[in-house]
Amino acid sequence: MAKELLKVTDVYKSFGGLTAVNGVSFSIYEGETVGLMGPNGAGKTTLINLISGTLPVDSGKIEFAGTDITNLPPWKRCKLGLARTYQIPRPFPGLLTSANIVVGALCGKDMTERSLMDASAEAMHYLEIVGLFHKRNVKAEELSLYELRLLELARALATTPKLILLDEVVAGLNPAEADEAVKLIERIKDYFGVTVLWIEHVMAVLMKAASRVIVLHYGQKIAEGSPQEVARNPQVIEAYLGEEVNV
Amino acid sequence: MKVIEWERDRIVFRFFGVKWDWAIEPRYWRPHIIGIGILFVTPIVLYFVYPPLLATFIEGSLLPCIVLPVILMLIGTGRFNFGPQFFVGVGGFTAGLLSIHFGLGPGITLLAAAAAGLLTGLIFSPLTLLAGGIYFALLTLLLPLIFLEITFVFDIFKGDTGLSGIPFLINFPNFTLNQLLYAFFALALMLIYLTITDRLLRSRYALQMAAINDDEEVANGLGVNISRIKIASFVGPAVMISIVGWFYAHYFGAFSSITYLPMTFMMKVFMALVIGGRGAWAIVLGGYVVTLIEVLLIRFAGNLSPILFPIIMLALLLIFREEGLFGLYRKRHYRDYKPHFKITK
Repeated sequence: MAKELLKVTDVYKSFGGLTAVNGVSFSIYEGETVGLMGPNGAGKTTLINLISGTLPVDSGKIEFAGTDITNLPPWKRCKLGLARTYQIPRPFPGLLTSANIVVGALCGKDMTERSLMDASAEAMHYLEIVGLFHKRNVKAEELSLYELRLLELARALATTPKLILLDEVVAGLNPAEADEAVKLIERIKDYFGVTVLWIEHVMAVLMKAASRVIVLHYGQKIAEGSPQEVARNPQVIEAYLGEEVNV
Repeated sequence: MKVIEWERDRIVFRFFGVKWDWAIEPRYWRPHIIGIGILFVTPIVLYFVYPPLLATFIEGSLLPCIVLPVILMLIGTGRFNFGPQFFVGVGGFTAGLLSIHFGLGPGITLLAAAAAGLLTGLIFSPLTLLAGGIYFALLTLLLPLIFLEITFVFDIFKGDTGLSGIPFLINFPNFTLNQLLYAFFALALMLIYLTITDRLLRSRYALQMAAINDDEEVANGLGVNISRIKIASFVGPAVMISIVGWFYAHYFGAFSSITYLPMTFMMKVFMALVIGGRGAWAIVLGGYVVTLIEVLLIRFAGNLSPILFPIIMLALLLIFREEGLFGLYRKRHYRDYKPHFKITK
């Protein structure tokens, strides 16, 4: 039995009168690729923000690798091995592509015996893995959307995470790019042995890549299971397609 | 494990598990050596050719001593401090008041001014965590103006006449020789600040500061302790600027709030920043250019200088808004280019 890596227990988050995350609980085990699905406004990104510490939880508990991280700031969560990407890529636009990754390599883990030069050398490794080495001296603001997605992935990997939170990686990419991105993530997962929590709108992607899928609707978890089980779940069908109508 | 280790092209420092690399790249030293050489020769030339310009040189050397810390503050906090002259006031009044009322010498008042800068920096540093964008700019803009009002309300600051009778830092019978020594003192201070800024901008801290400057939320998510970096980037420069206030007090033997705290002084600081351009040396250039323009206007335009000075500054700002004067140099020496740090909020 794989070890429990992330445990989310009864987490709530409201914005004014709107409850974005409503008592969600789930666990993620080491080595898994877990898909997080749901229609627009289901609370997926909010949940990722709560796990990564970008937003504070109203109530509930989040544990990561046996440590209660509910009230830890994001930088401490990162050092524990929790990294994320963003739905709309957020590079450091004024910095070179390589420098973007150096930030992760330098700060995302224990800084002992790691100089800026060491981190820079390490960053090149991640640039090569995602295929951005030729863009190392280009400012991040000059990269295309696909390259920005790769940059975010490399930057997250540079922190040597145990769990990586991917927020709609293939959104806005053409089918060929999306296919490449999915293959890259699968390769990275095997190569680095990271666990993945993957938010995705494109169901076909998760059906193929995820070993388990969690479905959110109006901030609540409505289904959890293998992709095939979830795809057949009437509640999920209703959430995505609406109620069945007889005509 | 060795604390300092020489390697082929770099020196490696180790301190409590933290490792720094200092690249030794002699091929990049030439412009620095030329720059420092010119700066050291200039006061000697002025001493023999036209001594009154020594005062301009001193002013020109001190202006970058304020702008360089402002740059560090700006990058490291990701926020624009519109009132850096507040710390000039803190350092100057601390030195002046302690000298006048307790008879303390410049050595002790230097420590006191630095301590006062540290304390006020720490007191106001939470602003970097609580306020951002325009709110931070407005709050910091108000700080020196509030301090200015305080100096008028409390008699100890002597209102618009200011403090006088502060002991001089250098006091030989020959006035011109004193000016020459002050020029070297100001130059040394400026070069120390330049070295600190230059080293910092090439260090691991600069990368974290730039990341905060670009997107502090993302930086936080990548393991950057943004609170620590922002507070350090506010407090450290505050101390540096306070020391400039200490120098002003002991250089003129007087210190008045009306000279340093109003927005006109702040304008000079920002003009030096914009006109010089990006990079530490650019700021040095900007400092001298702004001071020289001001002095020339006072000399040749008389009463019109307070009107002409901002107009000329505005014109230069429009001309050099992108790269500054140093941009002209960079066009021919592109290897000196440094990452562009921009303010996002």
